[in-house]
Amino acid sequence: MSPADFALFGAPAAFDQPLPVGQRYFPSWQRYEAAFRGIFERQYYTEYGPLNRQLEQQLQQFLGVKHAICVTNETIGLMMVADAMGLTGKVILQGSASIASAQSLRWAGLEPVFCDVDPDTHHIGLDQIDALIDKDVSAIMGVHLWGGACDPVALQKLADARGVQLYFDAAHAFGCAVDGVRIGNFGRAEVFSFHQDNILNAGEGGCICTNDDELAARLRTMRSSAGAGTPTEVTKTVNGRMSEAQAAIALMNLDDFQANQKNNRAIFELYETHLTAIPGIQLIQPTGVGFSNYQHVVCMVDEDEFQIPRDLLIELLRAENVDAKQCLSQVLLRIHPYIHDFPHYQNHLPNTDRFCATCVQLPIGTLVYSQNVEHICNIILSAHRASANILTYYKSKNTKENST
Amino acid sequence: MAKKGNVDELAIFGGTQMFSTPKPTSNLVRPDFEKFLGYSKDFFDRHQYTDDGVLVKQLEQRLTAFHQTEFCVAFCSGYWALALAISALTRAGKTEIVMPSFTYRRMADIAAWTGLKPHFCDVEPETMANSAMTVRPCINDNTALILGVHPIVNFCDIDGLVDLARKKNIPLLFDSVESVYESCAGRKIGGFGAGEIFSLGASKLVNGFEGGYLTTNDAKLAARLALARNFGLDKAGNVAVSGGLNAKLNEIHAAMALAGLDDLEDQFERNRQRYLIYQRLLAPLKGIRLLEFDESHRPGYKNIVIEILDDWPLSRADTVSILNAEMILARAYYTPPLHRKRMAYPYESAELPVTDRLSERYVLPPCGHLVSKDDIAMIVELMKFISANASAIKVRLQQPHPQHQGVQAK
Repeated sequence: MSPADFALFGAPAAFDQPLPVGQRYFPSWQRYEAAFRGIFERQYYTEYGPLNRQLEQQLQQFLGVKHAICVTNETIGLMMVADAMGLTGKVILQGSASIASAQSLRWAGLEPVFCDVDPDTHHIGLDQIDALIDKDVSAIMGVHLWGGACDPVALQKLADARGVQLYFDAAHAFGCAVDGVRIGNFGRAEVFSFHQDNILNAGEGGCICTNDDELAARLRTMRSSAGAGTPTEVTKTVNGRMSEAQAAIALMNLDDFQANQKNNRAIFELYETHLTAIPGIQLIQPTGVGFSNYQHVVCMVDEDEFQIPRDLLIELLRAENVDAKQCLSQVLLRIHPYIHDFPHYQNHLPNTDRFCATCVQLPIGTLVYSQNVEHICNIILSAHRASANILTYYKSKNTKENST
Repeated sequence: MAKKGNVDELAIFGGTQMFSTPKPTSNLVRPDFEKFLGYSKDFFDRHQYTDDGVLVKQLEQRLTAFHQTEFCVAFCSGYWALALAISALTRAGKTEIVMPSFTYRRMADIAAWTGLKPHFCDVEPETMANSAMTVRPCINDNTALILGVHPIVNFCDIDGLVDLARKKNIPLLFDSVESVYESCAGRKIGGFGAGEIFSLGASKLVNGFEGGYLTTNDAKLAARLALARNFGLDKAGNVAVSGGLNAKLNEIHAAMALAGLDDLEDQFERNRQRYLIYQRLLAPLKGIRLLEFDESHRPGYKNIVIEILDDWPLSRADTVSILNAEMILARAYYTPPLHRKRMAYPYESAELPVTDRLSERYVLPPCGHLVSKDDIAMIVELMKFISANASAIKVRLQQPHPQHQGVQAK
C-alpha cells in the first residue's frame, strides 16, 4: 500500500461507520421489547423494584459475594463507598487510573496520592506503595485494568500491615477471577461499571460489591429510601438509584455473559494472531487473573521498531473509521486540576508516563467481526511497511495545511 | 375494596385494607408504550446507549422549547443536576448556600457533597416557600449561592428573590422540580435566575425512570455543565472543566422522557380532573383544607396537598397512620424539616418558627397515574368516617394492639 491508499491522505475510509472500542453488548429488539412491556405492565419504574432485586440476587450468586448493591453509575458508586467507609485525608491510587476514580475522591473530600505503575503488569506498582503511606493516608484504591487485576491479595496484605483500608475500581473486571475467586470479593468493597463500553452493559450503571454487612447496610441507606432494609446511620444520602430500565438491560446482558466473554476471547485471540507479526506492536495480555472477560484490546507501540509514532497510528486508524484511542488521554496528574495541585508528582511516575505515551486501544465487542479484526491489523501492518513514505506524506500534508 | 361500617373495620385495628394495591403520592405516569418503543429504535439502531446520544439531544431540544429558554442540559438525576449546578455557580472562596429547611429531604446532603454549608432560611406562611424576606437575614459575607425552591403548590417569591440576588450580586438557582408546567406572569418557569433544576424521576411530571435537567439562558453555564456531567471531558477526551463526575442521562431514560412529553397535555387534563374531584369532595369536610392551585399560573396539578386544621379531631401522625394501614400511602409534607434532622456536617440555622409550625400541618394524599376518581372518592369517604368516629378511634389508638402499624411508603 502507498500512503495514498490511506484514508488520512484522501482514500475512502476502510469502514462505513465508526467502529467503537467499547463492548456495546445489548439484547435483541424482541427481548428488549418484552422486558419493557413487563415494566410498563408493572408500572414500577425505579426505587428498588422487582428487577433491581432480581439483578442484585443474580449478581450475588454469579460473583459469590454477599452484597451486590446496584447504583446509577460507577463514579457515584465510588463516591458512596469512599463516604461510607469513612475515609479521610488521602487515598493512594495508580497514576494511570481513570478520571472517574480521581474525581470520586475529590467529591468525597479526599486527596489523591498518585503511585507509579509496574512496568510489566501496568497495574499499581506494589513495591512503590509503602513509601507513599503517611499518617494522612486512609486507604488504597486498587484499579483493575483491561480484563486483568491488580494483585488484590498482595494489596490486602500490604494494607493490613500498614493499617489502611483497601477498595477497588473494578470497572474493567466484571466476571474476572483471581485463583477462582471472582473480582467483587476483594478489599472492603469493589465497584463495577455497567457503562456501554464494559462487558455488562446497562446503558449506564454500576454495582458496589462487599462482604461487609455493616458497610452494605450503610450503602443501601445512602442510596435511597426504598430497598434500604433497616435504615442505619449515614453521614449523607444520595440519589444513587439504578432504574428498572437499567436493571432490565443488565439482567439480559448477565444472561449473555458467557457468550459475550467467549466472543471477546475469540476476537482477542484473532488480534493476537495478526498483531504478533507486526514489529513494534505488543498486545497486552490480561494479567493477574485466571479468568478474564477479555473486554479490552490494548497495545503498546514501540516507535523505534514500528517506525510510526503512536499518535500518528491513532490518526491513521481514526481516518479509517476505526475509533482507536489512547487508553488515557493524559496522565491524570498532568491535567487540570492535578497539575496545579500536585506539581511535586511531575516526572516522578516514569512507568506511568511511558505507558500513557505508547498505548493504543483497539475495538472489541459486539460490533467487531473477525474480518474487521483482520482488516484493522492489515491497516496497522501496511502502515508499518509504508512508514517512511507515510511520514514524508504526513509532514508535507501538515505543512500544506499550516500554510493555508 | 372495603368501606368501613365501624371502627373495628379500620385496617389499623385489624380490619380488611381498603385497597389491595398501594395508592401512592408518586405521579408514576405511564407514557404510551408504542411511543417509547418508537424512540427506543433510534438508539437501538445506532448501538449507542449513552454518551451524548441522539435522544438526549432531542430531549434537550424539546425541553428548551417547552420552557422557552435558550439552553437545556440533561443529567442522570435532579440530585446530581443540583450538585453540579451549585458547584458551577458558587462564588469562589464563599462557603454557604442559603436554602429553605422546609423542602426535599436530601437537599442539605446535596450542599454537603458540594462542600458548602447549608444555611437554612424560613418560609412564608402563605407560599410555604422561601422569599426575599426570609432569605435576606441569612445573607452574609460567606454566602456563595441562594437556592430558591418552589413548593409543591404554586410558587416561591420569584421576583423578590431575583431582585435580591441582583442587588447583592449573589448567584440564584431555582429548584423547580415541582413547578415544571407553570408560568409566572406569562413567562414559563425555566428562565428565571441563573438556572432552574427539574427532575425526570418516576414520581415527577415527566417520568424518565430517573433523570433531571437544568434550563438556563446562560450559554457559559450550559456549556460548562454539559462538560461537567461527563467528567469535564471535551470531545478530544481532555479535561476542559474540573469538578466533573459521571452525571450523564442514558438514552433509554431519554426515550421514556420523550414519550412522556408527548403525553404531557393529556396528563395535565387527567391531573386536573383528580384535583377537581378532591376539591369538590373535600369542601364539606370540616378540619381539612385543600391547598388551591393559582389558576393564573397554569398549574400542572400533579400533587395534592391538604392542611390539617386545628378543628380536625385527630393528630396528623395518627391520621396518616390510619390511612397508611389502608394502603393509602399519604405522607406528611416535608417532615421533619431539614434543620430538625441530625446532620454529620456543619450547617447554619436561626430559629425558623414558620417552618416549625407549618411542618406539623400538611399532608400529601394519593395522586397520580395509579389513583382513579373512584379511589379519591373512597379516600375522602374514609376521612369523613375518621372524622365522624374520632372519639372511638382515639380510645382504640390508646390501647396497645399488635396490628397498629402503617405500611411502608413505596
